[in-house]
Amino acid sequence: MTGWREASGSRQGGDSASAGTPLAVDRNPSMSTIRLGRVQPQAPGHRTVFCNDREANYLAKYKGNAVSTTKYNVATFLPKGLYEQFRRVANLYFLTISCLSFTPVSPVSPITNVIPLSLVLFVSLVKEAFEDWKRLQNDMTINNSSVEILQEQRWESLPWKKLQVGDVVRVRQDGFFPADLLLLASTNPDGVCYTETANLDGETNLKIRKALEKTWDYVTPEKASEFKGEIHCEQPNNSLYTFTGNLILQKQTLPLGPNHILLRGCSLRNTEYIVGTVIFTGHETKVMMNAMNVPSKRSTLERKLDKVIATLFGVLLSMCLIGAIGSAVFVSNKYHYLELWINGDSQQFNPNNRFVVFVLSIFTLITLYSPIIPISLYVSIEMIKFIQSTKFINNDLRMYHSETNTPALARTSNLNEELGQVEYIFSDKTGTLTRNLMEFFKCSISGETYGTGVTEIEIGAAKRNGVDVKEVQKPSHAVREKGFNFDDARLMHGAWRNEPNPEMCKEFFRCLAICHTVLPEGEESPEKLRYQAASPDEAALVTAAKNFGFFFYRRTPTMIYVRESHVEKMGKVQDAAYEILNILEFNSTRKRQSVVCRYGDGRLVLYCKGADTVIYERLASGSEELKKISREQLEQYGEAGLRTLCLAYRDLSPEIYESWNEKFIQAKSSLRDRERKLDEVAELIEKDLTLIGCTAIEDKLQEGVPSCIETLSRAGIKIWVLTGDKLETAINIAYACKLINNDMKQFVISSETDEIRDVENRVSNFLASVLFIGIIQTIQSQVKLFFQGDQVEIAQFIRETVKNDLHKYHEEAQSIIHGSSGQKLSLLIDGKCLMYALDPSLRSTLLSLSLSCSSVVCCRVSPLQKAQVTRLVRKGANKITLSIGDGANDVGMIQAAHVGVGISGLEGMQAVMASDFAIAQFRFLTDLLLVHGRWSYLRLCKVVSYFFYKNLTFTLTQFWYTFHTGYSGQRFYDDWFQSLYNVIFTALPVIIVGLLDKDVSASLSKKYPQLYKEGIDNAYFNWKVVGTLACFSVYQSIIVYNFAVASSTTGLTSAGRMLGLWDISTAAFTCLVITVNLRLLMMCNTVTRWHSISVGGSILAWFIFIFIYAVVFVNKGTYYTIYVLMGTAYFYLMIVLVPIVALLCDFLYQGVQRWFYPRDYQIVQEIHRHEPEAIGAGLLAVGNQLTPEEERRYAFALLPRERSKHTGFAFDSPGYESFFATQQGVTTPQKPWDVIRRASMRQKTKSPRASQS
Amino acid sequence: MEQKNKNSKKPSYSRFSQQELPAWKPILTPGWVIASFLTIGALFIPIGLVALSASDTVVEIIDRYDEDCVPDAYSKNPESFIQDPDIKKTCVRSLRVPKKMVAPIFVYYQLENFYQNHRRFVKSRSDKQLRDPEAKNDTYNCFPEARTADNKPIVPCGLIAWSLFNDTYKLSTRGKPITIDKKGIAWKSDTKVKFGSNVYPKDFQKGGLIGGAKLDEKVPLSEQEDLIVWMRTAALPNFRKLYGKIDIDLEAHETVKAEVENNYNTYKFGGRKKLVLSTTTWIGGKNDFLGVAYITVGGLCLFMAINFILLYVFRPRRLGDPSYLSWNRLPIA
Repeated sequence: MTGWREASGSRQGGDSASAGTPLAVDRNPSMSTIRLGRVQPQAPGHRTVFCNDREANYLAKYKGNAVSTTKYNVATFLPKGLYEQFRRVANLYFLTISCLSFTPVSPVSPITNVIPLSLVLFVSLVKEAFEDWKRLQNDMTINNSSVEILQEQRWESLPWKKLQVGDVVRVRQDGFFPADLLLLASTNPDGVCYTETANLDGETNLKIRKALEKTWDYVTPEKASEFKGEIHCEQPNNSLYTFTGNLILQKQTLPLGPNHILLRGCSLRNTEYIVGTVIFTGHETKVMMNAMNVPSKRSTLERKLDKVIATLFGVLLSMCLIGAIGSAVFVSNKYHYLELWINGDSQQFNPNNRFVVFVLSIFTLITLYSPIIPISLYVSIEMIKFIQSTKFINNDLRMYHSETNTPALARTSNLNEELGQVEYIFSDKTGTLTRNLMEFFKCSISGETYGTGVTEIEIGAAKRNGVDVKEVQKPSHAVREKGFNFDDARLMHGAWRNEPNPEMCKEFFRCLAICHTVLPEGEESPEKLRYQAASPDEAALVTAAKNFGFFFYRRTPTMIYVRESHVEKMGKVQDAAYEILNILEFNSTRKRQSVVCRYGDGRLVLYCKGADTVIYERLASGSEELKKISREQLEQYGEAGLRTLCLAYRDLSPEIYESWNEKFIQAKSSLRDRERKLDEVAELIEKDLTLIGCTAIEDKLQEGVPSCIETLSRAGIKIWVLTGDKLETAINIAYACKLINNDMKQFVISSETDEIRDVENRVSNFLASVLFIGIIQTIQSQVKLFFQGDQVEIAQFIRETVKNDLHKYHEEAQSIIHGSSGQKLSLLIDGKCLMYALDPSLRSTLLSLSLSCSSVVCCRVSPLQKAQVTRLVRKGANKITLSIGDGANDVGMIQAAHVGVGISGLEGMQAVMASDFAIAQFRFLTDLLLVHGRWSYLRLCKVVSYFFYKNLTFTLTQFWYTFHTGYSGQRFYDDWFQSLYNVIFTALPVIIVGLLDKDVSASLSKKYPQLYKEGIDNAYFNWKVVGTLACFSVYQSIIVYNFAVASSTTGLTSAGRMLGLWDISTAAFTCLVITVNLRLLMMCNTVTRWHSISVGGSILAWFIFIFIYAVVFVNKGTYYTIYVLMGTAYFYLMIVLVPIVALLCDFLYQGVQRWFYPRDYQIVQEIHRHEPEAIGAGLLAVGNQLTPEEERRYAFALLPRERSKHTGFAFDSPGYESFFATQQGVTTPQKPWDVIRRASMRQKTKSPRASQS
Repeated sequence: MEQKNKNSKKPSYSRFSQQELPAWKPILTPGWVIASFLTIGALFIPIGLVALSASDTVVEIIDRYDEDCVPDAYSKNPESFIQDPDIKKTCVRSLRVPKKMVAPIFVYYQLENFYQNHRRFVKSRSDKQLRDPEAKNDTYNCFPEARTADNKPIVPCGLIAWSLFNDTYKLSTRGKPITIDKKGIAWKSDTKVKFGSNVYPKDFQKGGLIGGAKLDEKVPLSEQEDLIVWMRTAALPNFRKLYGKIDIDLEAHETVKAEVENNYNTYKFGGRKKLVLSTTTWIGGKNDFLGVAYITVGGLCLFMAINFILLYVFRPRRLGDPSYLSWNRLPIA
């Protein structure tokens, strides 16, 4: 951020005193300085905007607000579109061939190559046009959405595209900003408004923007029309978090910063309306300048295909070479009837210059054999994939999530088959595996546990143990709201008063209601008020307090107001005010948060909540029994996958507090190391605590996650969890998802080990020993922040440790793998160690170790590291990777992986925008990979190999003929046969197979996930497959060619007439078309009506074509051939014999293969051969069968318990770090502070935002 | 930005989009394999036998005469013999009839190592000119036999017509000449459409080089059946062309005297010339290929079927045995 600060400083010249940071404005509104005189920004690149003055701005010729994301317009469509098409090598190749076929060396007429090429181009261009048309429509909708623009003292509703720089606009609540605006005024007091930037960076928490004090009044149209300011600001750029400029208003220069700017694409929240003036429009807005072209990914299969094509090209060249040598040898004057010694304009057959003959023959033969490269392959594949993604993936009811009304979305159609080959999945945790929906689930007060819910994890565990626990319908009277999923009559509605320890309950609820940094918003009633919290955990806890009857409804910087029920007697409601004396912030080192408050009656209490380890260390001695019971309960909660927190309090005497508070104030006002000093001081008072109890919050796993992960791992897919969370939380979730279990050998590489701490201590003890004797027992956990030890030494030590660990674990892993125990391995590594492990010298060891593990958990990793890990596996191991995530912090990894999947859920759209596929729920991965991915892979392999086969066969028949024509390059088939072979006679069936073929049904694909392994191993499209196919191709072409020409030796009718070249080639072509079409049927696993129609239709199309063609074109050799042929018995015997002989080998191969080396899918087909495929199965809503709660409890009680030593931890604020911010080197402010700051700003607010509907 | 869409985004159900189209799911079980092989065998062998026996009834006499018809004096240099217009080219061959040949008997000439399918040769013709008297100047493709030295279009132009075969045969038996009927030796489609009844040869064989047969300028092309037959270019360098037909039966062991006018120069490129007399049946001339192919394939299929039956007996595989699944086959530690 310093970068632009300096820039703004220098721009404002010597006036450095006022060059305060524009950011500071909202922290301290009075800092908006007033400067006299006009100061022109000196930088060459700046723009001046005259507000509310269209004429003045007209001179500057700013771009309009209309945006166009289309690739083409009417004029550029053809040239640009064609250029795009010819960037493909295959198309360029055919263009060259087409050009060659216009020269006299060509044995074929130009139409042979021009027609298929133009058809292919036509189809591609139509597709491009269609897509561009959709973009255009999208643009038009956006450009035509209306905005209120100030015109003649009135708000006029005009379309966005009419908006110009300098216009004053009004945007209402929940509306989108039409351009980058300077905020002038807001209906909220203090000129504040809230924006949601989810469209920009995926962050869902609201951002505050604040208008300059000078402009607060321009709310009404009458007033706003008086506004005549002049804005000097930077030129449009793509940096979302910076803005520098000045507003010159009434001859005063006011500095502008990013906090005054409302960006296009964001929406207005919690504010009735705002008034702003337009600074950047259309393509110059920050969001548009950020709209990067997502790098288009190509699938591995396609890249493999390129190699095959290259091989084919090699084959083509060698065929040409053979032919050309033959031709050069053959040409001779002895063939007097050819008159080769007479040369016209071509030296093609000049026997006296055999080298020229050789060279020209190469060109001749290339044009002749060009169909060996299947021209329609790419366009067919594109078409197939397009339909697969738009019709199948997008429409799959199994992947439709009805709660959020989200169907699956394939954002690219390039990668369908890549989904069938994924071997590594990199998953984000929060929001992906879990719902990021924290719910208060259970609690324990004074050793008594409350809450009756069963977590999904427990259900999952139960299912694995064979006990079927159905999801239970909550009793209708149970309170259920966002953040609160708790049901126990003993605590609700004041019933806690009858519990053994009501005083503790009261403390428990008060602690929840007071000790937090949550901000209430909206009307002060329990139903309408909403809590704004830095982390959903906090909100859940406060919501819980509300439901227990301790309703926190107002906060000022010094006070917290709680409406308490049933405190003095049942049913009585009273408002209580607590003075907040100090807030000891949560941070990741402290792992706790405390509040010192004063009751109305003067009682001084410190409430503290935090991770169990931290709290237990600070408890007063005594009541060991309670501690033990609570610890057991914590462990139980942990097993159930809940995030636990301990609550404690300490009564303070005024003396102790006063003396401490002095130190606290000192620390707070210190300029250096403030954070560290605050932490130290906090230690002094957070001790001798009394345990109240603990809370258990469920970060609910998304529905079906454990079973999905289990299915995927059975499919041979390895799942890595990359999370910003702490090690413990990550491990917990990993356990919960059954990524890790206690039978696994775990390798933990953590920076939080005793050895590393020791080093950190050793380095710092030297400094620390004198000062902090009293708190020596807490040093271990505090060290990292307390002492800025010798970082170099620490780094070296960690590096050594990581290196040793890696090598040790690697050896261990190798011995386990080669051993017979069959133990599975797992690796847990934290971000800090990962940083060292990703060092080039250790990278290969890390890779090899992690590849031998069946699950890997990386915690505390930054978005960049996520991407690095993904790339490590992608490049290093050359495996196909898939990244799945939901937040902006996953964008890097989503783009780094072969396939990026975004969860279109709650956390904004950033991940989805960067992804290739978007699904609503993690569990839909099963369908996406095992069903769609597998089928797509299978189908495309078939399509590709079939294309390869049919064109090779066709060309080879031509090649064999070359040997019998004196290598002259005489074509065997008529031009039109050759050009229509690819685009009509064999085109449609293969597309049908590419769309409809399926080996086993969707439900079986999921029932036998192991079938997926064939995709991972690429069993359907490798050199062996291609080679086998090539052999069959050679065989079939020999059969077709030789059987056809065998008919030329004698007359074939009783009239003794002989057949000519074109008769025979027509017969051969007929046999070929029948053969290759039947061959396709033999490849099918399923034969639908469409298969028969397309295969039959293709053969029929050939006959119809030749019947007409043979009559219409009198001047061609093919005139009447088919009728001549049909007059012979020979022809009918041939079209039966040839296809059968040609396909006999394939048939035998398939029979033997199935009998002796059956593939898995074939066995599965056989197992289920008698079952009719359930139509519509699995699409009906599942799980609406209700089981009585008793039954469930009983079933649950029967479960064998799986012990785990892990307890849950809470208080992870989800990894909200902005990906863009970190890329820009900008750090976003700490969230808790943000909230508190907001509180202090909003103290006067009685906002009119009650109408939240 | 159009989030306000109140309609559900739930995809509508269709069997196509849910990929549940009704389908036949064939499984290539051993039963199917055996049955298919048996069926093919059972069908093909009879067809093959019928075809072969049909081919067997055909009587064919082949006589190669190009070498024998060169006088011994020229045997070292047959080209000088064939190119010398003053030497008499007549040569008498006697053919023995092996079996009774029932009329119609077809007379063919067979050329070998003659590349009628050479690219230069195939394209050197003008179909338009052959059909349409107006198009006599359409000699674009006819290089190098397109025009005479004084640039008059040759009708019919091109190498194919120019190289028209010009050996002639006269047959006689027991001293009686046998009439060779030259009508109807070409395909109807050629005589009716492709060769015009009002197109007459013009300036034919008047180019610089001496070609093959000459044509009667009074006879329209559609009646020049030798030319029509010749111009239906053969697919392979060894080919047969119909010369005419005989309408009398030839008895077994009879000797047919063939008087060959040996004009056509195949000596330069080492080609061979043969005279063929053959009867036909419903599958045409003597062609064992089809019958043999059918019988071989049928036999192979039967053989395969037997093998598969034996395999089925000795190494059966239970259909749908889960133990064959790869993950069940792997040893589980």
